[in-house]
Amino acid sequence: MALWEKRKSFLILGALVLFHLLLISVQIPLGGEKKLFGRAVFFVFSPVQRTAVSAFRGLRSVWTNYFDLRRVREDNQNLKHELFFLEQEKRALEDRLSQFRAEADVRENLAAFRKSLIPARVIGTDAVNYFRSVIIDRGSLAGVKPDMAVCDRYGNLVGRTITPVSYDEAMVQLITDPESSVSVVSETDKVVGILSGKRDALCTLKYILATVQTGKEGEGLITTGFDRIYPAGLHVGRIMSIKPTATVFKEITVLPYFSYATLDIVAVLPAVSGGTR
Amino acid sequence: MRETVLRDAVRAALATLASFAFYSLLGAARPSTLIVLNAFSLVVVTFSVGRSEVFGAVLGSVCGLVQDSFSLGVFGVAGLTKTLLGFWTGYVSRRIDVASFFRNAVFLLVMSALELILWGLLNTLVLKEPIDFRHGLMLLQPFVTALLGSLILYLARKVRARRA
Repeated sequence: MALWEKRKSFLILGALVLFHLLLISVQIPLGGEKKLFGRAVFFVFSPVQRTAVSAFRGLRSVWTNYFDLRRVREDNQNLKHELFFLEQEKRALEDRLSQFRAEADVRENLAAFRKSLIPARVIGTDAVNYFRSVIIDRGSLAGVKPDMAVCDRYGNLVGRTITPVSYDEAMVQLITDPESSVSVVSETDKVVGILSGKRDALCTLKYILATVQTGKEGEGLITTGFDRIYPAGLHVGRIMSIKPTATVFKEITVLPYFSYATLDIVAVLPAVSGGTR
Repeated sequence: MRETVLRDAVRAALATLASFAFYSLLGAARPSTLIVLNAFSLVVVTFSVGRSEVFGAVLGSVCGLVQDSFSLGVFGVAGLTKTLLGFWTGYVSRRIDVASFFRNAVFLLVMSALELILWGLLNTLVLKEPIDFRHGLMLLQPFVTALLGSLILYLARKVRARRA
């Protein structure tokens, strides 16, 4: 009791430090899902983020809409909204034209695709681990579940939803995260590999043997669908450089098509069984 | 005693909410600012100066865990570093004179720099990878935190003096 009175603050500090060390240690080895406690904090605080960002955007929108070219701004917003869906449809159309012969089939599938598409906005970014994750303003109430592919407004792959997914918010793991893996194939030479992040705005194409002669700089990459998370045919990025290494694999750097700095509206794609989009 | 603890708890909760709202607004307005300004660290040092070390530790702990839960990093690392930041900021600031703007800025710079170093070491230790300091931009964090923190405290002191 006397020790508690004398050293109260240091004992509390010790308890807190021990608590955090335990939290860190239960996550090793890394790679698992967020722990229950982490998810609980996310659930509690994500509505605060949503409210703060909505208020900020609302105020900004009031300012720009009412004081600065009101009608033009509104028209532009509507056109952007329409363009968003058209871009997604265009990408889907390109894929499906090669799969369906009857026009009716194409129309029917496109209508279903548009209906199931979940538009969302980015409301948060990772404060310390840049290019790894973002928070979007759609959650389980809108039908978002973990492992759904996320594309930018032009239909380029951004990442996938991961836990935690709260009622109105979800976390998205970006393809630039070193922990992410996407099965991709080069558009021309059909080189298949695994795409991961490089801890910056770039990605790396892994497991391409040094003996493979195909694949060249500037070539585009699309998803294969083999990973059963990302639908096939999504545009991912283009090869920036190919370098030989001392290992059996080449060092291939890929520039993703999506831009982290301008990431705003995204599309969450409905879960598919893989292979087709 | 109980009243003080309760008041401190309410203050810590409000400060956490303030830091989180601030972080959200920064992210919504310009995500790149998050590289040079850690809203959670700013709130922890600003609110811990002159208060009890326990208040600083609890506030740091909560703010750190909130930051961790919205990040794909190791859950608990920011919690641990901010707990220590809050504790020692509260502890030292009550034992030395940090009243003037300059002294306060230097003090906060040292504390923020120590937090960044500890965070870097812990991350390197756990992830076994070098920290990406975003071409050195992240090293500006302690300077920005110190400058803004001392400015907020200076203004708060002025307002309080005018009211009195």
